Amino acid sequence: MPNPDELATLPDADVVRLAQQGRELAFRELVRRYERPVFSLVFRMVRDRELAEDLSQDAFVKVLNHIDRYSPEFKFSSWLFKIANNVAIDHLRRRRIDTISMHGSPHASTASEIEASALNLEDEQESALDELESKELGSAIERAIARLRPEYRACIMLRHVEGRSYEEIAATLDLPLGTVKTYIHRARHELRKALEPLRE
Amino acid sequence: MQDRHLRPDEIELLLDGEEGFGVAPLRAHVRSCASCHAELEEARALLLALDTLPDFAPSVGFADRVMSQVQVFEPWHAAALTTARQFVPATRPARIAAGFAAAVGSGLLTAGATWAVARADIGFLLAQVGLDRVREQAGAAASDVATTVLGQPGLDAMLGGSAGMTAAAVGGFVAVVGMGVVGLRALATSSRRAR
Repeated sequence: MPNPDELATLPDADVVRLAQQGRELAFRELVRRYERPVFSLVFRMVRDRELAEDLSQDAFVKVLNHIDRYSPEFKFSSWLFKIANNVAIDHLRRRRIDTISMHGSPHASTASEIEASALNLEDEQESALDELESKELGSAIERAIARLRPEYRACIMLRHVEGRSYEEIAATLDLPLGTVKTYIHRARHELRKALEPLRE
Repeated sequence: MQDRHLRPDEIELLLDGEEGFGVAPLRAHVRSCASCHAELEEARALLLALDTLPDFAPSVGFADRVMSQVQVFEPWHAAALTTARQFVPATRPARIAAGFAAAVGSGLLTAGATWAVARADIGFLLAQVGLDRVREQAGAAASDVATTVLGQPGLDAMLGGSAGMTAAAVGGFVAVVGMGVVGLRALATSSRRAR
C-alpha cells in the first residue's frame, strides 16, 4: 500500500482502484484532491457556505460509498462533479418549491405563525446574500455568476473554473454537446451584459 | 468581409477559436472594425477573469466528516492478498531463502502426490477391506437389534420363513407398536383431563 506522499502522485484511476480494495488512505486522497473543486462548484450553485458543505459532503459520501460501481472508462472527476451538480440542482429545485410558500409556512395555523415563518425565511436569505457578497465572493463577476440560471452556472463553472472541455461537460451533466455550447455562449453573453456598467 | 457588427454568437465562435469557412470573414471584420475589435477584447478579458476565479476551501475537518459516513469495505480477495503479503519476508536474502524453501516444499509435495497416484491399487485394496469391515459391523448390529425386539425364535422364523411370512411378522410388529403408541397417548390425554 503506497503511503500518502506516494498516493498523491498516482493518477485518479489508480487511487480509485486502491479505494475499491478497501484502502482508507485512498478514500482520503480522493477527498483531498476534490474537496475544493467540488465545494467551489456547489458553493457557487447554492450561495450558502454551510449548505454547500453539507451538499458537498452528501456528494462525496454518495460517490465513495458506491466506489465499487465506478466504471474506469469514465473520468472519476466527471462522475464526482455529476453527482455534486445533481445534489446542488436537486436542492435548488426543492428550494424553488419552498419559495412558493415564502409568505408563510403551509403548516402555520395562526396569522402570527404565518408572519413569523415568512420573516424567518426572508432574513435567512438576506443574511446569506449579504455574507456571500460582502465577505466571500465580493467581486462583480461572482455576483453576475450568481444571477445566472443554475444550468448556465454549472456549465460556466465546469468550463472556466475547472477547465473541462465541452465534451466532458456534456458527459458530466448528461446534456447534448450542442446544448452545452449554447448554455455556455448564452451565459458568457449574459455575464458580459451584466458587467457592462462596470466598464462605463 | 461583412459590413455589419458581429452578433454575440459570432463573438462566441471567435472566443472558442473555431476554425472553418464562416470564421474567416468574421476575423477579417474584427481586424477592420474598432468597435467589434474592442468587444472581442473585452470578451477575452472576461474569459481570462473566469479562468482565474479561485477555488473555495471547505472548513477544516471536512474530510473527516465525509470519512465518518463512508463505509470502507475490503473485499475478500484484497484481504487475502494483504494476509499473504504479511508472510513475505522484508529483506531480499530472506525472500530468496523463503522462495527456495517453498520450491523444495512444493517439490516434495508433488513427489508425494505422484507416488500416491502410482500406488493407487494399494489405496483401493485398503478401502475395500475397510468397507467390508463396516458392512460386517452394521449387519451384526442390525441382527442384535432384531433379536432384542423379536427374540431368537422370531428372528429364526423370519429368516427361515417365506417372504409372505416375513411381511406378516413385520406388519404385526408395526401394528402392535402403533397400538401401543395410540394407547399411551390416550392414557396421557385422559390423565391430563382428569387433572
